[in-house]
Amino acid sequence: MDGIHDMGGMHGFGAVVAQPGEPVFHEPWEGRVVGLMVAAGAAGLIPGSLRPRIESMDPAAYLAASYYGRWAHALEAGLVATGTLTVDEIDTRVAGGDPVPTRSSATSPALVAAIGGFLDAPGATSGVPVAAAFAVGDRVTVRRMAPEGHHRCPRYVRGVAGTVTRVAGGWPHPGEHEPEAIYTVRFAMADLWGADAEPGSLALDLWERYLA
Amino acid sequence: MTAGGGHHPAEPTEVERRVAAIESLLVEKGLITSDMVDAVVETYEHDVGPLNGARVVARAWVDDAYRARLLADGTAAVGELGFGGAEGEHLAVLENTPAVHNVVVCTLCSCYPWPVLGLPPRWYKSFAYRSRMVREPRAVLAELGTVLPGDVEVAVWDSSAEVRYLVLPLRPAGSEGLAEDELVPLVTRDHMIGVAR
Repeated sequence: MDGIHDMGGMHGFGAVVAQPGEPVFHEPWEGRVVGLMVAAGAAGLIPGSLRPRIESMDPAAYLAASYYGRWAHALEAGLVATGTLTVDEIDTRVAGGDPVPTRSSATSPALVAAIGGFLDAPGATSGVPVAAAFAVGDRVTVRRMAPEGHHRCPRYVRGVAGTVTRVAGGWPHPGEHEPEAIYTVRFAMADLWGADAEPGSLALDLWERYLA
Repeated sequence: MTAGGGHHPAEPTEVERRVAAIESLLVEKGLITSDMVDAVVETYEHDVGPLNGARVVARAWVDDAYRARLLADGTAAVGELGFGGAEGEHLAVLENTPAVHNVVVCTLCSCYPWPVLGLPPRWYKSFAYRSRMVREPRAVLAELGTVLPGDVEVAVWDSSAEVRYLVLPLRPAGSEGLAEDELVPLVTRDHMIGVAR
Protein backbone atom coordinates (compact mmCIF):
# COMPACT_ATOMS: atom_id res chain seq x y z
CA MET A 1 0.00 0.00 0.00
CA ASP A 2 1.10 3.56 -0.57
CA GLY A 3 1.08 4.63 3.05
CA ILE A 4 2.82 6.97 5.43
CA HIS A 5 5.67 4.46 5.76
CA ASP A 6 6.87 5.32 2.22
CA MET A 7 9.03 8.25 3.32
CA GLY A 8 11.79 8.48 0.72
CA GLY A 9 12.23 12.08 -0.40
CA MET A 10 9.73 13.69 1.98
CA HIS A 11 10.47 17.06 3.56
CA GLY A 12 9.81 18.31 7.05
CA PHE A 13 11.26 15.72 9.41
CA GLY A 14 14.18 17.89 10.50
CA ALA A 15 17.75 16.98 11.31
CA VAL A 16 19.20 13.52 11.81
CA VAL A 17 20.39 13.35 15.40
CA ALA A 18 22.69 10.56 16.54
CA GLN A 19 23.14 9.62 20.18
CA PRO A 20 26.70 8.51 20.95
CA GLY A 21 26.90 5.33 23.01
CA GLU A 22 23.27 4.49 22.44
CA PRO A 23 22.15 1.22 24.10
CA VAL A 24 20.69 -1.61 22.01
CA PHE A 25 17.38 -1.22 23.84
CA HIS A 26 16.52 2.11 25.48
CA GLU A 27 13.87 0.55 27.71
CA PRO A 28 13.42 -3.08 28.77
CA TRP A 29 10.04 -3.32 27.00
CA GLU A 30 11.76 -2.67 23.64
CA GLY A 31 13.80 -5.83 24.08
CA ARG A 32 10.72 -7.74 25.21
CA VAL A 33 8.76 -6.73 22.10
CA VAL A 34 11.54 -7.94 19.80
CA GLY A 35 11.79 -11.11 21.85
CA LEU A 36 8.04 -11.63 21.81
CA MET A 37 7.89 -11.18 18.05
CA VAL A 38 10.56 -13.83 17.51
CA ALA A 39 9.23 -16.15 20.24
CA ALA A 40 5.66 -15.92 18.95
CA GLY A 41 6.95 -16.67 15.46
CA ALA A 42 8.95 -19.66 16.70
CA ALA A 43 5.84 -20.95 18.51
CA GLY A 44 3.78 -20.61 15.33
CA LEU A 45 1.46 -17.99 16.82
CA ILE A 46 1.87 -15.23 14.22
CA PRO A 47 2.50 -16.33 10.66
CA GLY A 48 3.59 -13.87 8.02
CA SER A 49 5.47 -10.61 7.99
CA LEU A 50 5.17 -7.77 10.48
CA ARG A 51 5.51 -5.12 7.78
CA PRO A 52 1.96 -5.21 6.42
CA ARG A 53 0.66 -4.88 9.98
CA ILE A 54 2.86 -1.86 10.58
CA GLU A 55 1.91 -0.28 7.28
CA SER A 56 -1.79 -0.67 7.99
CA MET A 57 -1.53 1.44 11.16
CA ASP A 58 -3.51 4.65 11.23
CA PRO A 59 -1.10 7.21 9.70
CA ALA A 60 -1.30 9.58 12.67
CA ALA A 61 -0.62 6.69 15.06
CA TYR A 62 2.31 5.56 12.89
CA LEU A 63 3.90 8.99 13.11
CA ALA A 64 3.30 9.25 16.86
CA ALA A 65 4.73 5.83 17.69
CA SER A 66 8.37 4.92 18.20
CA TYR A 67 9.95 2.19 16.08
CA TYR A 68 9.39 -0.47 18.72
CA GLY A 69 5.98 1.04 19.43
CA ARG A 70 5.11 0.11 15.85
CA TRP A 71 6.45 -3.39 16.49
CA ALA A 72 4.21 -3.59 19.56
CA HIS A 73 1.24 -2.63 17.41
CA ALA A 74 2.15 -5.29 14.83
CA LEU A 75 2.67 -7.92 17.53
CA GLU A 76 -0.74 -7.26 19.04
CA ALA A 77 -2.45 -7.09 15.63
CA GLY A 78 -0.88 -10.40 14.63
CA LEU A 79 -1.88 -12.20 17.82
CA VAL A 80 -5.41 -10.83 17.60
CA ALA A 81 -5.72 -11.71 13.89
CA THR A 82 -4.87 -15.35 14.62
CA GLY A 83 -7.25 -15.50 17.57
CA THR A 84 -4.38 -16.15 20.00
CA LEU A 85 -5.40 -13.19 22.15
CA THR A 86 -8.32 -10.77 22.15
CA VAL A 87 -8.16 -7.01 22.50
CA ASP A 88 -10.54 -7.30 25.46
CA GLU A 89 -8.27 -9.56 27.45
CA ILE A 90 -5.26 -7.36 26.72
CA ASP A 91 -7.25 -4.25 27.74
CA THR A 92 -8.39 -5.96 30.92
CA ARG A 93 -4.88 -6.94 31.84
CA VAL A 94 -3.56 -3.45 31.12
CA ALA A 95 -6.28 -1.90 33.29
CA GLY A 96 -5.60 -4.19 36.24
CA GLY A 97 -2.07 -4.61 35.50
CA ASP A 98 1.34 -5.05 36.75
CA PRO A 99 3.77 -3.69 34.13
CA VAL A 100 6.23 -6.43 35.00
CA PRO A 101 5.52 -9.49 32.84
CA THR A 102 4.71 -12.82 34.40
CA ARG A 103 7.71 -15.19 34.45
CA SER A 104 7.24 -18.83 33.54
CA SER A 105 8.83 -21.55 35.59
CA ALA A 106 8.75 -23.81 32.53
CA THR A 107 11.50 -23.59 29.92
CA SER A 108 11.63 -24.45 26.21
CA PRO A 109 15.14 -25.69 25.43
CA ALA A 110 14.27 -26.88 21.93
CA LEU A 111 12.58 -23.62 20.94
CA VAL A 112 15.37 -21.56 22.51
CA ALA A 113 17.84 -23.54 20.40
CA ALA A 114 15.70 -22.95 17.32
CA ILE A 115 15.66 -19.21 18.03
CA GLY A 116 19.47 -19.27 18.32
CA GLY A 117 19.69 -20.99 14.95
CA PHE A 118 17.31 -18.46 13.42
CA LEU A 119 19.10 -15.35 14.74
CA ASP A 120 22.73 -16.30 15.13
CA ALA A 121 24.02 -19.06 12.90
CA PRO A 122 25.41 -19.14 9.36
CA GLY A 123 22.98 -20.18 6.67
CA ALA A 124 22.73 -20.61 2.93
CA THR A 125 22.40 -17.52 0.73
CA SER A 126 18.73 -16.87 -0.02
CA GLY A 127 17.31 -16.40 -3.48
CA VAL A 128 16.93 -18.95 -6.27
CA PRO A 129 17.79 -18.78 -9.97
CA VAL A 130 14.75 -17.74 -11.99
CA ALA A 131 13.99 -16.65 -15.53
CA ALA A 132 14.76 -12.93 -15.81
CA ALA A 133 13.34 -10.59 -18.44
CA PHE A 134 16.11 -8.03 -17.96
CA ALA A 135 19.89 -8.29 -17.89
CA VAL A 136 22.71 -6.25 -16.39
CA GLY A 137 23.12 -3.06 -18.40
CA ASP A 138 19.47 -2.88 -19.54
CA ARG A 139 17.65 0.42 -19.20
CA VAL A 140 14.38 -0.08 -17.32
CA THR A 141 11.60 2.24 -16.22
CA VAL A 142 9.71 1.76 -12.97
CA ARG A 143 6.01 1.40 -13.69
CA ARG A 144 3.43 3.91 -12.60
CA MET A 145 1.10 2.11 -10.20
CA ALA A 146 -0.99 2.46 -7.07
CA PRO A 147 -0.98 -0.99 -5.45
CA GLU A 148 -3.20 -1.52 -2.42
CA GLY A 149 -1.49 -4.65 -1.10
CA HIS A 150 1.88 -4.88 0.61
CA HIS A 151 4.73 -4.14 -1.80
CA ARG A 152 8.30 -2.82 -1.81
CA CYS A 153 8.29 -0.21 -4.54
CA PRO A 154 8.74 3.30 -3.12
CA ARG A 155 6.79 6.09 -4.78
CA TYR A 156 9.88 8.19 -5.45
CA VAL A 157 11.27 5.81 -8.11
CA ARG A 158 8.03 5.36 -10.08
CA GLY A 159 8.15 6.56 -13.65
CA VAL A 160 11.94 6.98 -13.46
CA ALA A 161 14.40 5.17 -15.75
CA GLY A 162 17.52 3.49 -14.44
CA THR A 163 20.05 0.81 -15.29
CA VAL A 164 20.09 -2.78 -14.09
CA THR A 165 23.36 -3.39 -12.25
CA ARG A 166 22.68 -6.82 -10.80
CA VAL A 167 20.21 -9.67 -11.11
CA ALA A 168 20.09 -10.61 -7.45
CA GLY A 169 18.04 -13.80 -7.79
CA GLY A 170 14.43 -14.85 -7.32
CA TRP A 171 12.21 -14.49 -4.26
CA PRO A 172 8.43 -14.59 -3.88
CA HIS A 173 6.83 -11.18 -3.99
CA PRO A 174 5.20 -10.36 -0.63
CA GLY A 175 2.01 -12.36 -0.25
CA GLU A 176 2.93 -14.89 -2.94
CA HIS A 177 4.81 -18.19 -3.14
CA GLU A 178 6.52 -18.44 -6.54
CA PRO A 179 9.92 -16.77 -6.89
CA GLU A 180 10.24 -13.78 -9.19
CA ALA A 181 13.41 -11.99 -10.27
CA ILE A 182 14.70 -9.07 -8.22
CA TYR A 183 17.00 -6.55 -9.90
CA THR A 184 19.29 -3.94 -8.45
CA VAL A 185 18.57 -0.78 -10.45
CA ARG A 186 20.76 2.32 -10.34
CA PHE A 187 19.29 5.76 -10.92
CA ALA A 188 20.99 9.09 -11.42
CA MET A 189 20.09 11.48 -8.60
CA ALA A 190 19.13 14.13 -11.15
CA ASP A 191 16.58 11.75 -12.72
CA LEU A 192 14.96 11.24 -9.32
CA TRP A 193 15.07 14.75 -7.90
CA GLY A 194 15.60 17.18 -10.73
CA ALA A 195 18.35 19.28 -12.19
CA ASP A 196 19.41 20.82 -8.87
CA ALA A 197 19.80 17.45 -7.13
CA GLU A 198 23.03 16.46 -5.46
CA PRO A 199 25.29 14.55 -7.87
CA GLY A 200 25.65 10.81 -7.48
CA SER A 201 23.52 7.72 -7.78
CA LEU A 202 20.92 5.76 -5.91
CA ALA A 203 20.34 2.02 -6.17
CA LEU A 204 17.53 -0.17 -4.93
CA ASP A 205 16.15 -3.65 -5.47
CA LEU A 206 12.93 -4.06 -7.42
CA TRP A 207 10.83 -7.07 -8.28
CA GLU A 208 10.39 -7.65 -12.02
CA ARG A 209 6.70 -6.74 -11.92
CA TYR A 210 7.62 -3.16 -11.01
CA LEU A 211 9.68 -2.69 -14.17
CA ALA A 212 9.08 -2.12 -17.86
CA MET B 1 18.06 -6.38 36.31
CA THR B 2 15.39 -8.97 35.72
CA ALA B 3 14.03 -9.39 32.22
CA GLY B 4 11.15 -7.02 31.75
CA GLY B 5 12.61 -4.54 34.19
CA GLY B 6 11.84 -4.68 37.87
CA HIS B 7 12.62 -1.08 38.70
CA HIS B 8 10.83 1.86 37.15
CA PRO B 9 11.08 5.31 38.61
CA ALA B 10 8.72 6.68 35.94
CA GLU B 11 5.08 5.75 35.43
CA PRO B 12 4.89 2.94 32.85
CA THR B 13 3.69 4.05 29.45
CA GLU B 14 0.70 2.60 27.60
CA VAL B 15 2.88 0.68 25.15
CA GLU B 16 4.98 -0.71 27.99
CA ARG B 17 1.83 -1.90 29.77
CA ARG B 18 0.43 -3.48 26.62
CA VAL B 19 3.65 -5.34 25.84
CA ALA B 20 3.82 -6.59 29.44
CA ALA B 21 0.17 -7.68 29.26
CA ILE B 22 0.79 -9.57 26.02
CA GLU B 23 3.86 -11.31 27.44
CA SER B 24 2.02 -12.22 30.65
CA LEU B 25 -0.98 -13.64 28.76
CA LEU B 26 1.17 -15.70 26.36
CA VAL B 27 3.22 -17.07 29.25
CA GLU B 28 0.21 -17.83 31.45
CA LYS B 29 -1.51 -19.65 28.59
CA GLY B 30 1.62 -21.75 28.13
CA LEU B 31 2.07 -20.57 24.53
CA ILE B 32 5.61 -19.31 25.07
CA THR B 33 8.11 -19.44 27.93
CA SER B 34 10.08 -16.53 29.34
CA ASP B 35 13.41 -18.04 28.36
CA MET B 36 12.44 -17.78 24.68
CA VAL B 37 12.05 -14.01 24.99
CA ASP B 38 15.16 -13.74 27.15
CA ALA B 39 17.20 -15.56 24.49
CA VAL B 40 16.38 -12.92 21.87
CA VAL B 41 17.17 -10.01 24.18
CA GLU B 42 20.46 -11.58 25.24
CA THR B 43 21.43 -12.32 21.64
CA TYR B 44 21.23 -8.66 20.63
CA GLU B 45 22.52 -7.21 23.89
CA HIS B 46 25.57 -9.48 24.10
CA ASP B 47 26.25 -11.69 21.08
CA VAL B 48 25.24 -10.06 17.78
CA GLY B 49 26.35 -6.50 17.11
CA PRO B 50 28.76 -4.36 15.09
CA LEU B 51 31.76 -6.28 16.41
CA ASN B 52 30.75 -9.08 14.05
CA GLY B 53 30.86 -6.74 11.09
CA ALA B 54 34.15 -5.26 12.26
CA ARG B 55 35.70 -8.73 12.24
CA VAL B 56 34.45 -9.25 8.70
CA VAL B 57 35.93 -5.94 7.56
CA ALA B 58 39.27 -6.53 9.27
CA ARG B 59 39.55 -9.94 7.64
CA ALA B 60 38.78 -8.41 4.24
CA TRP B 61 41.49 -5.79 4.76
CA VAL B 62 44.21 -8.34 5.41
CA ASP B 63 43.11 -11.21 3.16
CA ASP B 64 42.53 -10.43 -0.53
CA ALA B 65 41.05 -13.84 -1.27
CA TYR B 66 38.56 -13.38 1.57
CA ARG B 67 37.66 -9.90 0.31
CA ALA B 68 36.95 -11.35 -3.13
CA ARG B 69 34.69 -14.02 -1.64
CA LEU B 70 32.97 -11.39 0.53
CA LEU B 71 32.18 -9.20 -2.46
CA ALA B 72 30.99 -12.20 -4.49
CA ASP B 73 28.70 -13.72 -1.82
CA GLY B 74 28.42 -11.79 1.44
CA THR B 75 26.26 -14.35 3.23
CA ALA B 76 28.67 -17.21 2.56
CA ALA B 77 31.75 -15.17 3.46
CA VAL B 78 30.39 -13.88 6.78
CA GLY B 79 29.29 -17.44 7.45
CA GLU B 80 32.95 -18.47 7.28
CA LEU B 81 33.48 -16.36 10.42
CA GLY B 82 30.48 -17.96 12.12
CA PHE B 83 28.01 -15.12 11.51
CA GLY B 84 24.57 -15.31 9.92
CA GLY B 85 20.85 -15.44 10.60
CA ALA B 86 17.69 -13.37 10.34
CA GLU B 87 18.01 -10.27 8.13
CA GLY B 88 21.29 -11.58 6.78
CA GLU B 89 19.99 -14.26 4.44
CA HIS B 90 21.25 -12.40 1.39
CA LEU B 91 24.04 -9.99 2.24
CA ALA B 92 25.65 -7.83 -0.39
CA VAL B 93 28.87 -6.01 0.49
CA LEU B 94 29.56 -2.59 -1.02
CA GLU B 95 33.23 -1.74 -1.35
CA ASN B 96 34.24 1.88 -0.83
CA THR B 97 37.02 3.12 -3.09
CA PRO B 98 38.93 6.41 -3.17
CA ALA B 99 36.42 7.53 -5.84
CA VAL B 100 33.13 6.10 -4.48
CA HIS B 101 31.49 6.27 -1.07
CA ASN B 102 28.55 3.96 -0.34
CA VAL B 103 25.82 4.64 2.22
CA VAL B 104 22.79 2.53 3.18
CA VAL B 105 19.25 3.50 4.17
CA CYS B 106 15.81 1.87 4.21
CA THR B 107 13.08 4.33 3.32
CA LEU B 108 10.12 1.94 3.71
CA CYS B 109 10.94 0.57 7.17
CA SER B 110 14.40 0.06 8.65
CA CYS B 111 15.95 -2.96 6.90
CA TYR B 112 19.40 -3.59 8.33
CA PRO B 113 21.93 -6.47 8.25
CA TRP B 114 21.33 -7.78 11.77
CA PRO B 115 23.89 -10.64 11.87
CA VAL B 116 26.80 -8.26 11.22
CA LEU B 117 25.57 -5.00 12.77
CA GLY B 118 22.98 -6.05 15.37
CA LEU B 119 19.78 -4.03 15.67
CA PRO B 120 19.77 -0.53 14.17
CA PRO B 121 20.32 2.67 16.18
CA ARG B 122 17.47 5.14 16.61
CA TRP B 123 18.75 7.65 14.07
CA TYR B 124 18.79 4.98 11.34
CA LYS B 125 15.09 4.36 12.04
CA SER B 126 14.22 8.06 12.28
CA PHE B 127 11.84 9.63 9.80
CA ALA B 128 14.50 12.26 9.07
CA TYR B 129 17.10 9.70 7.99
CA ARG B 130 14.60 7.58 6.05
CA SER B 131 13.19 10.56 4.15
CA ARG B 132 16.35 12.54 3.49
CA MET B 133 19.23 10.13 2.85
CA VAL B 134 17.92 9.21 -0.59
CA ARG B 135 17.47 12.86 -1.64
CA GLU B 136 20.33 14.80 -0.03
CA PRO B 137 22.96 12.32 1.16
CA ARG B 138 25.80 14.82 1.32
CA ALA B 139 23.78 17.13 3.54
CA VAL B 140 22.82 14.27 5.87
CA LEU B 141 26.37 12.93 5.97
CA ALA B 142 27.64 16.38 6.88
CA GLU B 143 25.11 16.61 9.73
CA LEU B 144 26.47 13.32 11.01
CA GLY B 145 30.02 14.67 10.85
CA THR B 146 31.18 13.28 7.51
CA VAL B 147 32.07 15.89 4.92
CA LEU B 148 33.10 14.24 1.66
CA PRO B 149 35.44 15.84 -0.87
CA GLY B 150 33.60 17.02 -3.97
CA ASP B 151 35.35 14.51 -6.21
CA VAL B 152 34.07 11.51 -4.26
CA GLU B 153 30.91 10.07 -5.80
CA VAL B 154 28.14 9.22 -3.33
CA ALA B 155 26.25 5.98 -4.02
CA VAL B 156 23.10 5.59 -1.90
CA TRP B 157 21.54 2.14 -1.42
CA ASP B 158 17.86 2.01 -0.41
CA SER B 159 17.41 -1.43 1.12
CA SER B 160 13.98 -2.21 -0.27
CA ALA B 161 13.55 -5.92 -1.01
CA GLU B 162 15.40 -9.09 0.08
CA VAL B 163 19.04 -7.98 -0.05
CA ARG B 164 20.72 -6.43 3.00
CA TYR B 165 23.78 -4.25 2.54
CA LEU B 166 27.05 -3.84 4.42
CA VAL B 167 29.64 -1.22 3.49
CA LEU B 168 33.26 -2.32 3.32
CA PRO B 169 35.10 0.88 4.32
CA LEU B 170 38.54 1.93 3.09
CA ARG B 171 41.40 0.67 5.21
CA PRO B 172 42.67 3.70 7.15
CA ALA B 173 45.91 5.27 5.98
CA GLY B 174 48.73 4.38 8.33
CA SER B 175 47.22 1.04 9.37
CA GLU B 176 49.44 -1.01 7.06
CA GLY B 177 51.51 -2.40 9.91
CA LEU B 178 48.53 -3.49 12.03
CA ALA B 179 47.45 -7.10 12.38
CA GLU B 180 43.86 -8.26 11.84
CA ASP B 181 43.00 -8.17 15.57
CA GLU B 182 44.42 -4.64 15.84
CA LEU B 183 42.29 -3.48 12.91
CA VAL B 184 38.99 -4.67 14.40
CA PRO B 185 38.64 -1.77 16.89
CA LEU B 186 39.13 0.75 14.07
CA VAL B 187 35.88 -0.34 12.39
CA THR B 188 32.66 1.23 13.65
CA ARG B 189 29.01 0.61 12.97
CA ASP B 190 28.84 3.99 11.24
CA HIS B 191 31.61 2.99 8.80
CA MET B 192 29.63 -0.12 7.86
CA ILE B 193 26.38 1.81 7.32
CA GLY B 194 28.34 4.39 5.38
CA VAL B 195 27.66 7.50 7.45
CA ALA B 196 31.35 7.60 8.35
CA ARG B 197 34.07 7.44 5.68
